[in-house]
Amino acid sequence: MNRSTEVAHNTSVLPGRDLTLPGSSRRAGHHYRLRNNYPTWFAGGALLLYGVFVLLPSLLGLAFSFTDWSAYSTEIHWVGLANFATILQPNSEYVSAIEHTLIFTVATIILKTVIALALAVLLTSGVRRLAYLYRALIYLPALLPMVAVGIVFKSILDPDVGLLNSTLRLLGFGVLAQQWLTNVSLALWSVIGVDTWKGVGYIMVILIAGLLAIPREYYEAAKIDGASGWQSFRYITLPLLRPVLAVTTVLNLLYALRVFDIVYVLTNGGPGYATDTVYTAIFNAFSLGQWGVATALSTVFLIVMLVLGFVVLRVFRRSEVAYP
Amino acid sequence: MQRLFRAPLRLEKRLMIALLLALFPLSSVLLVACGTISSSSASSPKITLTVLESQGWVYPAENDLARKFEAQTGIHIDYQIIPAANYFQVLDTKLNSGQGPDIFGGQSGVSDLEVQYNVTQNAVDLSNQEWVKREDPAALGQATLNGKVYGQEIWDIYSGYWVIVYNKNIFQQVGITGVPATYNDFVADCARIKAAGINPIYEPISDGWHHVLWYPEIGARMEQLEPGLYDKLNANQANLAGDPASNTAMTQINELYQKGYFGPTALSDQFANTEKEMASGKYAMTINGLTEPEAIQAADSSVQASSFGYFPIPILDNQLLPTHPAAPTKFVYAKGSHIAQAEQYLNFLAEPTNLQYMVDHTTQFETVDFTGIKAKWTPEQQAFLKQYQAATTLVLQDGVKYVNPQWIQIGKDMSAMFTRQETPHQVLMNTDGRRTQEAQAAHDSAWQG
Repeated sequence: MNRSTEVAHNTSVLPGRDLTLPGSSRRAGHHYRLRNNYPTWFAGGALLLYGVFVLLPSLLGLAFSFTDWSAYSTEIHWVGLANFATILQPNSEYVSAIEHTLIFTVATIILKTVIALALAVLLTSGVRRLAYLYRALIYLPALLPMVAVGIVFKSILDPDVGLLNSTLRLLGFGVLAQQWLTNVSLALWSVIGVDTWKGVGYIMVILIAGLLAIPREYYEAAKIDGASGWQSFRYITLPLLRPVLAVTTVLNLLYALRVFDIVYVLTNGGPGYATDTVYTAIFNAFSLGQWGVATALSTVFLIVMLVLGFVVLRVFRRSEVAYP
Repeated sequence: MQRLFRAPLRLEKRLMIALLLALFPLSSVLLVACGTISSSSASSPKITLTVLESQGWVYPAENDLARKFEAQTGIHIDYQIIPAANYFQVLDTKLNSGQGPDIFGGQSGVSDLEVQYNVTQNAVDLSNQEWVKREDPAALGQATLNGKVYGQEIWDIYSGYWVIVYNKNIFQQVGITGVPATYNDFVADCARIKAAGINPIYEPISDGWHHVLWYPEIGARMEQLEPGLYDKLNANQANLAGDPASNTAMTQINELYQKGYFGPTALSDQFANTEKEMASGKYAMTINGLTEPEAIQAADSSVQASSFGYFPIPILDNQLLPTHPAAPTKFVYAKGSHIAQAEQYLNFLAEPTNLQYMVDHTTQFETVDFTGIKAKWTPEQQAFLKQYQAATTLVLQDGVKYVNPQWIQIGKDMSAMFTRQETPHQVLMNTDGRRTQEAQAAHDSAWQG
């Protein structure tokens, strides 16, 4: 029953006679409003939960970032921008943590996207036999717990008895054997490598879905016009895949900016502070009982995340291409 | 497009090989996961006490006693052992979020009790327990705050301090006739050992805490060089970065690393492998306790404990034995749901027969810090203790406030120094900075105003 018939059914149409029971008009209006507003009620529940568990703690965190809140005292004092000054002073461990996080983010976005795109194209257009098996195998690491991956790779990357260096030595490439997790120049890149190994399958699956949605007629028309494989990829695949690439980039961005577990397990931010990221720094500050500093760092990084997310979405939206 | 990607069959084969290689870590992960699943399926008794400890603080004898306690009372003890490098982060996060275990381990020390564990909020007052009367007052003092005993320390503080343990055979082999008495002698000995193709020192840096020992364990020597230093540091009238002896000590420690005396893999070496590495003869020295030679023999029976000797850490020409009554200690979590059972377990551990069992079955203990224990000193240990004078001043982390709570952070700074991210002076400045933060947060009157 649609809304208009329902209203007509409950309302008198005879002049001078009101056949409706007292109050039924009000009930009808009430029902109407209920039915009309039910999406708001559903959204209301979710909004309530969001408000209590996300918005309120975030606002409280924002407020606490201006205080000396710590584990050592029950008193909390307003300290203005002192926590932010601590975080942003030159050469502080927090500034280097922000730098490492940005390097990690840019590197993993590029590596995961490029490798995942190459694999996706290969498994949708190049490899025919066992393509589904390859997809499943490449996707499998994404299902594993990050901590387990970290523990296993920590042993693989051990400079003395690790599988990687042992294999390199066995094959006569001992000169390539490195201190993967303790060399200041290499440690962050080793973490990036492990994270890419784990995450590339997830991005590949999304890109495969995007590739399969591109109509085959475009490629056939291009082929008839004499376009090379690269030209088809450059002028058909890439433009039409942009919305999907925007999604994977934003997903990668949000994950990478919040990276914690893989760094914690592989290097714990070391050697020294060489691989500390924002979230390991927040964890350190929190575990040291410096809650005010920890919340201030969270606030600073929330702003960084919002700005970066906004920029990425704007860039992709501007260059988006639709099917004609 | 189609033609572009029409690859020959060989490509698929190559892809398959590459995939199989790339998936090797995956199979390992799956095996680990399977092991985890199968080990967690045991049925649990009625009450389970969780005990959170750092790696290296619980020896097998204590696990034996936990099983005995369970047989007697039906209360299961669930030890949760955390890697040392992460322990204080995990513990403090649990305590700060109000989700601590029934019993938590911690290094004792007055400022640790206040700053690191906030015992007045997080720990139960154990002053009235029977075992308190039998524990060494020096050890008890490190677990006492404002006249209340908050922790139980069962440890060998009489041989459990840190000295250099050396391999006599390697020293003899490279022509070193006596133990070094100065830093310069020590460096010369290291150079001679390294020239012979042997790593001079096994220094496991990856644990995050062991390499820190080089500095605060010679605190008594710093006090000897500048009398009154500890008092000035505690009164906020001096700082470590401004102390010449501290700067020299940190510079010397850095020099040992930069000259390669800690071995090529020191940054990834682990404390748990110390005995194996020392027994292998690949390393000549390590920092450890007086019981280490027996632990090395236990790890490899072909090596004799008597082939190892000791000398004090010679940074700043130190010749004093460290006095270090603070040690791993157990605290009952005040917000736990099984406080009475946790106290019952600590009482059980401190029963004289159980303490003796721990001494008799723990290689790392010659005795423990309770009265009525039969010790098991070796002739080498007795000779060593007669040869060197014990410091009257405590080690830095026991005598100076706000040092021990930031032990792991000092370790991070020292790792940064080894990898040239920081200078020795910066390490000390950062340590001072954290001391100030902790003191101000604790509203220490010496840091107010």
